Amino acid sequence: MSRRMTVYDITRGIDEYRHGLSDERYESSLTFADLPAKLMIKVFSYLSHSELCRICLVSKRWRELAYDSRLWTNLRLRPEFGGLSVSNVSQFVDLIGSRFSTALRSIDLPCELITVPVLEEIARQCVNLRYMTLDFSKAMQLHDYNDLVDFPANLYYLCVCLSDVIFMEGLMRKIYHCLSTVQVLHLIGTFEQSSEEEEEIYEVINISKIKAHTPNLRVVNLYGVMFVDDSHVELLSFNCVHLECVALNFCIKVTGSSLKNLLEKCKKIKTLLLHHCELVDAHMMAVDWEHSHVKELDITSTELSANCLENVLTRIRSLEYLAVGYCDFFTDAVMEKLMETGNLRELRAIDISYTCNLSEPVIGKFIKRYGPQLLGLMLHGKPLLNEFFWTANIPLLKNIKICTLGQRDGWYFELNTKVHIDQVINAFASHCPKMERLEIQWDVATIRFSHKSGKFIDDIRTRCPFLQSLTLADGGYYEMANSNFERAQRSRVVRTFNRYATSIVQLLSCYGDLLFN
Amino acid sequence: SQLSNQRAAMPNIKLQSSDNEIFEVELEIAKQSNTIKTMLEDLSVSDDSDDPVPLPNVNAAILKKVIAWCTHHKDDPPPVEEDEYKERRTDDIPTWDLEFMKVDQGTLFEIILASNYLDIKGLLDVACKTVANMIKGKSPEEIRKTFNIKCDFTAEELEQVRKENEWCEEK
Repeated sequence: MSRRMTVYDITRGIDEYRHGLSDERYESSLTFADLPAKLMIKVFSYLSHSELCRICLVSKRWRELAYDSRLWTNLRLRPEFGGLSVSNVSQFVDLIGSRFSTALRSIDLPCELITVPVLEEIARQCVNLRYMTLDFSKAMQLHDYNDLVDFPANLYYLCVCLSDVIFMEGLMRKIYHCLSTVQVLHLIGTFEQSSEEEEEIYEVINISKIKAHTPNLRVVNLYGVMFVDDSHVELLSFNCVHLECVALNFCIKVTGSSLKNLLEKCKKIKTLLLHHCELVDAHMMAVDWEHSHVKELDITSTELSANCLENVLTRIRSLEYLAVGYCDFFTDAVMEKLMETGNLRELRAIDISYTCNLSEPVIGKFIKRYGPQLLGLMLHGKPLLNEFFWTANIPLLKNIKICTLGQRDGWYFELNTKVHIDQVINAFASHCPKMERLEIQWDVATIRFSHKSGKFIDDIRTRCPFLQSLTLADGGYYEMANSNFERAQRSRVVRTFNRYATSIVQLLSCYGDLLFN
Repeated sequence: SQLSNQRAAMPNIKLQSSDNEIFEVELEIAKQSNTIKTMLEDLSVSDDSDDPVPLPNVNAAILKKVIAWCTHHKDDPPPVEEDEYKERRTDDIPTWDLEFMKVDQGTLFEIILASNYLDIKGLLDVACKTVANMIKGKSPEEIRKTFNIKCDFTAEELEQVRKENEWCEEK
C-alpha cells in the first residue's frame, strides 16, 4: 500500500504548495479543543497578562487554563514599564496564594503595593520567588512596616528603586535578615530625574547594614545613586568576598579612592562599570591592577589623563571588554601602547566612540589586528571616519554582532563629501552574517541614497538573519528601510536613535544580572 | 553525528506516516526532530537498514508539511532558550513561515500536535505564535467565532468571571 516518495517529490510539493497549485488540498477537522492543556498553555504563553484576563471569558476551559499558575510566573505590576495596573489590592492579595503561589518566580511592585499584607502573603505563598523589584521612586512616603514579620527569604535578585527623600530604614530593618541568599543587588538612584539645582542629598538607605547581611553578593549595581561615594563602595569590600561585578554608573561622587581596597579584598571582581564617575588619576593608578581579575572595564565619560589611561589599561592583564567612549585622552599613544603589550588579545567588545584624540590610522591598525575577534564595536561620533574607512574595514569584522558608526551632526560632510550609504550597507551584508544590532548615525543631509537603495536593504535583511535592531537617523532613508523590513514582516527592527540607543553592554558576562526595569 | 560521519554525504532516511506513506528525507533534515534523532541513537538503527522509521502519530499530509518546513529551515542555527522574564514576541515570524502557516485551522492544530510529538522546537514555537496572533486583540465573542467555541458560561457565571478579573486594569 505504501508509495515511495523521493526527495525530488517533496521539493516539488513545496513549490506546488507555495504556488497554490497543489491538487491534494488537505483539510483537517481538528479544533482548539483537541489540543492538550500543555499545548494550549504554550499558545497562551505568547499572550500578555492583560490579554489573559480577557480570554478567560471565552469558555470554562479557557478560563481554567488562563488562570494556570504556569502563565503567571513573572508578574509585572508597574504600568509605566508595561505592567498591569492593580486596581483592587485585596483581590490581588487573594490571588497571590490561589493563582501565583509557588509558580511565581519574579515580581515587580510599585510603591502603593509594597504593603505589609502584600509582602507577607508573597513571603508565605510564593516560596519559589527569586526576583523581586521594589519601586519607591514615585513614593510620597513609606508605608508603616512595624508589623511586618515575613519577607521572601529565598531571593536571588533584589532591586530597590530609591526616592530622593524617603528613608528606607523603616522597611529595611525588618528585612535585613531575609537577604542572605541575595546574589544580585540593584539600588537604583534618581540621577536621571534630578535637576541641576543644588538639592540636599540624603543617605536614604544604609549600605553598611545591607552588606553585613548579604555575604553571597556577586553583582552590585548602584545606578545613579546621588549619595553614594567611595566610603560606601569601600564598605562592600568587607563581607562580600564573592563579588564579581560592581557597577557604579552615574554615581557622580565616586572618585575611585575605594577601588584599591575593593579589588584587594574582593579577588573575584571581573567587571567594573564606572561610566560617568568622577574618577581621579591618582586613585585609579593606586590600584594593584596587575593582581586583579578585572577583565571588563567601563570608564566612559570620565576625565582620566592619557598618562593615567596608559598606566591603568596596560596593567590590566587581559581586557575582554573596554568602554572608553568620550575619553578625550584615550589617545593614539595609549592605543598603540595597549596593542604593544598584547593585553587586548582576548578583547570581545570595545567602545571608542567620541574619542577625539584617536586617529584614523591607529583605529585602522587596531581593526586590522583585532577586528576579526570583535563581537562589539562602538565607533560613532568620529567625523573623520568616512565611507571609505568603513568599506575597507567592515570586511575584517567577521564576527561582529553589535556595531555603531557615523556622526549625528553632519557639519563635516555637508562641507566636503557625502556618504554612500549603500556601499556601507553592502559591506555589512556581505561580511557580517552574525550582526544583531547596527546603528548608523549619519543624518539624511550626510548620506546619499536613491530608489536603488532598497536593493541593498534587501541584502542586509536577508543576509543578516539575526539583525534585530537597525537604528538610523530620522528621515527618508529610515522610512525606506523601515517599510522594507515591515513588508517582510520584520517590524520593530528598524528604529531611529531618538528612541533607541545601541550599546555593547549586552556583551558583558553578567549582562543578564545587570538588567533592571 | 556519528551516524552521519559513517555514512556517505547526504545520507537519507525513510519515515513512515500513520497512513503508511513512506518519505525519503535527508538525515540532517529529519534530525531537526529530536524524537527522530533520539530514536536513531537509542535504537541504533543500523547504517544500511532500509527499514522506515514509523511515526504512528503523524499522517502523510502533515508529515509532508513538517518535512517541507524542516527542509526550508535546515540551515537555521539551533533555537535559543527564550528568556522567561521577557514578554514573548509574536511579531517576529519570518515571511516564509507566515506563508507556510496559511492553512486551515485544523491543519494548524495538527502541525502543533505533530511538532510537539516530533519535538521540533522551532516549528512548534512558530505554530503556537501563529495561533496566539489569531487570539490577540480580539474580544471573547470574536475569539469564540474564530475558533468555533461554544460559550458554556451562564450569564451569572460570566459576571462572576468578570468580577474575578477586576483586580487589574489595562493602561
